[in-house]
Amino acid sequence: MATLDGFRGKDFLEQITILNEISGSKDAQCLPGLMDLFENPTGDTGVDYMVVGALNAILGTSEAAVVDGLSSLSLPYRTLCIRTAGEYAFASAAKPLTAMAAKETDPDLLAEILASLAKIRPVGGAAVFRTFLAHPDQMLAAMAMEMAGVYSDPSALPALMETVRKAGAEGSYEQCDLTTWKAIDALAAIATPGSIGFLVENIHHKNPTARRIITDALVRLGEATLPFLEPVYANGATDDRILACNIAGFIGARKGADALVKAFDSGCFTDPNVRYAAFEALGRIGTLKGLVCLVDGLEESDELILMAVVVGLERHAAPGVLKTISERISAGTENSPRICRAIVAARALRLFQELYKDELVGDRLIDALKLSQDQEILDAFAQRLNEIATDRSRSDAATLPQARVATRKAIAADDSKSMLALYRRILTDMGFEPLLAANGQEAYAYVENGEFADVVITDMNMPVMDGVELVGKLRGSLGYDETPIIMVTTESENSQREVAAKSGVNAFVTKPFKPEALKEALRQLLGD
Amino acid sequence: MDVELAKPFVKAAMDVIGTMAFMTPRAGKPFVKKNTIATGDVTGLVGLTGEGKRGSVSISFQKACAVAMVKNMLGDDIQDILQDVKDAVGEITNMISGQARAGLAEKGLVLQGSTPTVIMGDNHSITHIAKSPIMAIPFETDAGSFTIEFCFE
Repeated sequence: MATLDGFRGKDFLEQITILNEISGSKDAQCLPGLMDLFENPTGDTGVDYMVVGALNAILGTSEAAVVDGLSSLSLPYRTLCIRTAGEYAFASAAKPLTAMAAKETDPDLLAEILASLAKIRPVGGAAVFRTFLAHPDQMLAAMAMEMAGVYSDPSALPALMETVRKAGAEGSYEQCDLTTWKAIDALAAIATPGSIGFLVENIHHKNPTARRIITDALVRLGEATLPFLEPVYANGATDDRILACNIAGFIGARKGADALVKAFDSGCFTDPNVRYAAFEALGRIGTLKGLVCLVDGLEESDELILMAVVVGLERHAAPGVLKTISERISAGTENSPRICRAIVAARALRLFQELYKDELVGDRLIDALKLSQDQEILDAFAQRLNEIATDRSRSDAATLPQARVATRKAIAADDSKSMLALYRRILTDMGFEPLLAANGQEAYAYVENGEFADVVITDMNMPVMDGVELVGKLRGSLGYDETPIIMVTTESENSQREVAAKSGVNAFVTKPFKPEALKEALRQLLGD
Repeated sequence: MDVELAKPFVKAAMDVIGTMAFMTPRAGKPFVKKNTIATGDVTGLVGLTGEGKRGSVSISFQKACAVAMVKNMLGDDIQDILQDVKDAVGEITNMISGQARAGLAEKGLVLQGSTPTVIMGDNHSITHIAKSPIMAIPFETDAGSFTIEFCFE
C-alpha cells in the first residue's frame, strides 16, 4: 500500500507514482499526510496539483470528512471541501453550507458555496438562493437567478420581474446586464401564468438585447406562450402586436395560426405593419385556416404585404390555393398585375410553375417578369421556363430581357425574406447590384470581403448583429465613413432612433413604405 | 451553469495579468450580447470542450493595453513589437485558460482547451459560434481596457 512516509525526500517520479496510487485506492489513512502536503505544498506545481487530485478522490469517499472540513480554519482546505461537497452532491453538507452562505461576505467564496449548493440541490434550497437575487455582485445574483429557475421558485418572481423592469429604465437600455438575461430565462423556466404573462407584456422591451432574449424564451416555451399573445393582438401597441405575430410564427403551432386568423377576423390587424407580420407568421405555420386567410390577403394593395402573402403561399402551394390565385390574376382587376409582380419579386418559382400552365395567367406573369431589372430573378425564371420544357415556355424564356449591367452596388440587410425581396426589386430597378444579407453580420461580411457599396439599407432589429451595431462597424471601416446609410424600422420610440442616429445613420424610413418613398430617399441621399 | 464556468476565468485573468504583466485589472459590470461578435485590436481565443459542453473564451485587448502588457513583461527587451504582442497575448491566454481549467477540474468539471489562437488587426471582429447569448466582462487597466467573452452550449 502506498504510504506518504518520507514523501518530500523522494524524487518526482516516485512522488507522482505514490499520488497516483492513492488517487486510485482512495485510502482514507493517507488523509492526514495529504492534508499536510496540501497545507504546506512541495512547490512543484505538478506534484501539488496531484496532491489536490488525490485529496479530492479520498474526500469523495468520505462525506463526514468533507462536512467536517467545511468548518476547517484553513481557507484553502475549506474551499476544497466546499467544492468536493458539490462535486459529489453530499446531502449532509447542505445545512452547513446554507449557514455559511448566510454569514460569508467574500464574493469569491460565496460563489463557491452557492455553486456547491446548486449541485447538491437540497430540498427547500430555493430559499437560500432567493436571498441573493438582488445581490450587488452580478455574478452571484445571476447564479441565484439560474437556481430560481431550476427550483421553479414562484417566490422569486417579484425580484426577477423587478430586474427585467429596471433594465428598461431610461438610461440603462443601451447595454444588457448579465442579470437581465438570467432573470428572463428564470421567468421562462418558472413558467407560471404570471411569469409568462410578464414576459409577453415586455416583448417590446426597450433594451434590444433583452427584447431578443425575451422573444427566444417565449418561442422556447412554445404553445404555453400562445394564450398570452391573444390579448396583445387585440389591445397591444403596434410594435407589440408585430412582435406577438412574429413569436406565434416562430412557435409554428396550429393553435397559434387559429388565433391569428381569429384576430384578423375580429379586425385587430388594421395597421399595415401588423398585417405584414401576421401574414408572414401564417405563411410560416401553414394551417388550412391560415391559408384561407393568406388567400384573402391577395386583395391587399400594399406591395410589401402582398409579398408576405405570396411568400407564405409559395411555401404551401395547395391546388385550391393555386386555383384562387389563378382566378385573381385572370380576373384582370387592379390587383392582378400587383400579384404578378409580387410572385416575380418573391421569386415564387413553385407558384409560377403551376400558374404558368394556364396560358392567360402565364402571359400576365411573363409580362410582369419582363419589367424586372434583376438579372438573378430573370435567370431563375428563365431556367424554370426551360425546365418546364414546352414549346410555349421555351419561346417565353427566349423573350425575357437581359437586365442592364449594374454599375453601382447597394447592401441591404433585413431578417425578413419578403423585405429582402422587395429591396432586391427596388435596388435593381434603380440600377444597383443588390448585396443582400439576412443580418448585420452577413452584411458586414461583404465589407470584409472587400466589396464596396454606394449605399447601405439596414433593418434595426435583426438576429446575430443588429442594425445599430452594423452601422457602428461600417463607420469604423475604411471607405465606409461617409457612405449613405438608411435605416428602415418600425420602431416608434424615439430613444431607439437616437441610439441609431448616434451610430451614424443618415436617414430613417419607417415601415410600411411605398417602394417610391424608399427610392426617393435613396435619390436624395445619393444626389441622383 | 454558465456563471460558475465564467467565474474561474475572470479570477484567472486577474491573477495572470497581475502576476505576469504587473497590472491591476479592475473588473467592470458583466453584460450580455445577443450578437456573437467580439471586437478588439488583439484577441486571444481558446476553444473548450468536455462534460457535454463546448464553447469558446476570448480575451480582446485594446492596442494600448496589449502593448503596455508586453512592455511590462519584457521590459526594454522588445525586438519586434508585433511579434512580441502576438506571443504575449497567446501566452497569457494559454495561462488563463490553464489556470481556470485547473480550478474547474477541482470541482470535477474537466474541460479540454485548444491551443490559443491570436488574432490581430485594428478593430477586428471575432464570431463565437453559439446560439446562446454571450457573456462579456469588461476590464479596465491604467493602460487601456480588455474584455473577456464566454459562450457555452
